Amino acid sequence: MTTHTDPPEGARADGDDESLPCGRPLSRVWDDWERQTDDPHTATCPHCRTAVDDLALLESAVRGLREETPDPSAHDAEPLTRRVMDLVRLELRPGRPLPLGEPAEDLWIMETVAARVLRAAAETVEGVRAGSCRIVDADGHEGGAVEVRLDIHAPADAALRPLAERVRQRVREAADRELGLVTASVDIRVTDLVDVRAEGREGDTA
Amino acid sequence: MTAHTPSAAQTVLVEDIARVVEDVPGVAFLRPGLAARLRSALSRPDPGAGRTPTAGVRLTPGADDTAGWHVDVHVVVVRRARAVDVARAVRSAVETHLALRFPARPGARVRVTITGQV
Repeated sequence: MTTHTDPPEGARADGDDESLPCGRPLSRVWDDWERQTDDPHTATCPHCRTAVDDLALLESAVRGLREETPDPSAHDAEPLTRRVMDLVRLELRPGRPLPLGEPAEDLWIMETVAARVLRAAAETVEGVRAGSCRIVDADGHEGGAVEVRLDIHAPADAALRPLAERVRQRVREAADRELGLVTASVDIRVTDLVDVRAEGREGDTA
Repeated sequence: MTAHTPSAAQTVLVEDIARVVEDVPGVAFLRPGLAARLRSALSRPDPGAGRTPTAGVRLTPGADDTAGWHVDVHVVVVRRARAVDVARAVRSAVETHLALRFPARPGARVRVTITGQV
């Protein structure tokens, strides 16, 4: 029986990403390839070469998509490229794994994936903009609960306590309903106040 | 980390598991998977064409034939599905598949990690 105190191999806090069978982290191999670093290991290691071939194919495929787009106004191609590369980046640097579901289920979700969902949930509260969202294993909590630490920008005219409470509620709901992440605590930190009316008037005057 | 060469039978088994995982509702694709999907979408010549990408499945046999498999699965799931439900369905599908293939072995240990949402 495995418990949630035993995070997936190859995703430890120090490495944060997948290691190839030769022991090299995938992110390093891809980074080296992008920087055209001259490395005898990568040149001869079959695992590293396969990983690099995959990236090269992906790059040419993305470039091909852009070139083959019927309407070449980079307008449509750019967001696609960005979305694809975002996903690739997520695959390379996903952050740490967080426990999903009940204790000892051995189910995990990468922090960046969960943080994206929780930030979006916070922003469903009117006028709120989510900043940094850290999710960590809850200290001393039985099983697989997590602590969420979310920074937000709040509207300047909002009552902050009720606002933070609404954000906390949305974050808790999304963690449960969309992910299945058990939240031990949700800390909301208001890092800036935004004058919404002033922002709305921008552009009216020169 | 021990680098061992998987047997041909094990490679086939990994491909089977990859197919089982990709058929689970809510699974978008196996990690990394993206490159392979783009390749197939663009119909580029690819030596691995038609084969399920298996980078998201790691299979470690038990110490001997009487021990259960240890399977590590990395998947990207679709956004509208609840992540934990998909992860549980993946685990259950892999366990069922291995139980049918190797009825004499003890149950597999399956770890599922969600690495992305699309």
